[in-house]
Amino acid sequence: MALSVLKPGLATTVQDTGRPGYYNVGIPPSGSLDQYSSLAANLLVGNAEDAAVLECTYMGPELRFDRPATVAVTGADLPPRLGGEPRPVWESFAVEMGDVLSFDFLRSGARAYIAVSGGFDVPVMLGSRSTYALGALGGVGGRALAAGDELPIGDADGAAPGRSVPAALRSTHPKHREIRVMMGLYDHRLTDGGRRAFLDAEWRLTTLADRTGFRYRGAALEFRERVAPFGAGSDPSNIVDAPYPIGSIQIPGGVEPIVLHRDAVSGGGYVMVGTVISADMDDVGQSAPNITTRFVEVDLDGALRARRERADRLEALREAVR
Amino acid sequence: MDIRSPLPGVFYRRPSPESDPFVEPGSPVGPDTVVALVEVMKQFFEVQAGTSGTIATVAVADADMVDAGQILFTVHQS
Amino acid sequence: MSGPGRPARRSFGGDDHIFVEFDEEMNLPANFRVMAVTATLAERRIDGVIDICPANVSYQVRFDPDRVAPRDLVAELEATEATVGDGTDFDLRTTILELPILYGDPWTRETGERFRSHRQDPDATDLEYAARVNGFDSVAGFVAAHSNSPWFASMVGFVAGLPFLFQMVPRERQLEVPKYLSPRTDTPKLTIGHGGCFGSIYSVRGAGGYQMLGITPAPIYDPTQTHPDFADSLVFFEPGFIVKYEPIDRETYDELTAQVEARRYRIRQAPVEFSLGRFLADPDGYNRGLTEVLRGS
Repeated sequence: MALSVLKPGLATTVQDTGRPGYYNVGIPPSGSLDQYSSLAANLLVGNAEDAAVLECTYMGPELRFDRPATVAVTGADLPPRLGGEPRPVWESFAVEMGDVLSFDFLRSGARAYIAVSGGFDVPVMLGSRSTYALGALGGVGGRALAAGDELPIGDADGAAPGRSVPAALRSTHPKHREIRVMMGLYDHRLTDGGRRAFLDAEWRLTTLADRTGFRYRGAALEFRERVAPFGAGSDPSNIVDAPYPIGSIQIPGGVEPIVLHRDAVSGGGYVMVGTVISADMDDVGQSAPNITTRFVEVDLDGALRARRERADRLEALREAVR
Repeated sequence: MDIRSPLPGVFYRRPSPESDPFVEPGSPVGPDTVVALVEVMKQFFEVQAGTSGTIATVAVADADMVDAGQILFTVHQS
Repeated sequence: MSGPGRPARRSFGGDDHIFVEFDEEMNLPANFRVMAVTATLAERRIDGVIDICPANVSYQVRFDPDRVAPRDLVAELEATEATVGDGTDFDLRTTILELPILYGDPWTRETGERFRSHRQDPDATDLEYAARVNGFDSVAGFVAAHSNSPWFASMVGFVAGLPFLFQMVPRERQLEVPKYLSPRTDTPKLTIGHGGCFGSIYSVRGAGGYQMLGITPAPIYDPTQTHPDFADSLVFFEPGFIVKYEPIDRETYDELTAQVEARRYRIRQAPVEFSLGRFLADPDGYNRGLTEVLRGS
């Protein structure tokens, strides 16, 4: 054992690059909601890219190290303290045996990532260490951390502290976001006005925002009249249960769209009107309650262009930190 | 001295809708006194005063959204 | 276009999913076409495909657009659908299983009591309500209809290992029950639910909106992989599995639960080939033949 949890934070889980390949039986990919920041944390401490990190939602944990290590905190602006002394974010630093890592209040963003040299060495389940709490799978006992947990840390190759991500490559977390979406799926079920309202509205993230989905409030959307298909359910927003893409935007009852994230429910009976493009999923993951969002429509080519730009940024990050 | 919200969410002054507020201006508090709840992701997080003194002002209306670090109460320290 | 019936409707789900819908209303032929197409797709082992997810009347493919161009993958799907046609010539190699159910059990009843305000008829149990809205004079009549004909796992998902089940009977005999007025925040693990025309088995404890009819002692999801049926997979159900329910009493339930807890319980199951064409020609006769297989297992 190499790390003891003194205080768990609000919803701190072990995550990595995820668990692809089981969505057909309802097991979602899981993994860090902000993969960019999670990768940065691993690079800073000299870990493999798929090493497991801690994802801290809104609030940091309090952790005691039972052995020396190199640590980095990225993602949300959640200022770390070591033995009460401030430590930087997006920069690796050394911890000694017995040191306690704690955090100030969140300044911006939603999820901070803590990487420790060697990675969190919890058992690999279906190819990943990621926690999928709905299915009690992965991480520490398939759940968020609790006080008293002990986390094993893998062997490190001796990464030096003092690595830093250049300012231009650090994520920022504005109070207003534009999230790009490809419309489609069941958007034909919206009236023209409903579709316009979806793209025009300023949506505000509610407190119902977790690893499964992000629920927004801001406008009521109108659906076209129809005769309910057999098996669909009577509400105009019901469909015969269908698969849900990661990032898809469903609108139960025509109010409060929900963007599904990496712990998505894999299917269900609500109309989806579009999907957040892969390049912008990190930004959704860094959205905290009360921030405002506009959904901006792009086509497939626009989405693929954004994906290439993100890949270039990941490559620049690797170059800068190695 | 201020009591700040440790996390973003909805600020509640009462443990349940029928109950009295945890604290009012003039209420004495100690470091462990629960002064409010903040709700996020269907979880209710107890906010503790973290200091000793008496509540001076309540800075946020019940059931308003708050950001992490936002001032919830001001406290006259004893 | 892919064979007779409605043309398929396609949409990208962002830059990394393709969604395909064969029909808007639930029906076994459309579901079977989904099964046939997704099984054939899986055999093609297309580079860059991450997940192939069959659902009731639609399916999705999650892919890595860095490894397979999205429009090329659409062409692959169209070609596969054309090969499969409407699926009536396709024989699905699958599994038939028998699941014991304690109908009207005390745990789902207690849960229903806790969510009275969410229910259409707070003074009846979910099972009594389901019997009444389907025109049965008694719960026993409903239980007989529910357990006499097998069910087809038309989709596995929502959460890990949860099967959606569609009863293999002509539409006029389909049991239909409205979902709860608003969802519960709690459902016992292994609850047998019914909402709209679908049955389900709650693989984990959690939220839900289906009416609760009973409970099975048989585990269907085991992330610890300590039960004998789960040596190879955490998830018991796969899309296309066929389920026959066996009503049991409380005494049998307790006995089976003891076997489960001792890690000795195994679900009675047998391999089977399902042919939609032969089923449609004589549903009841075909179902009798299918369930006979279990007697030999």
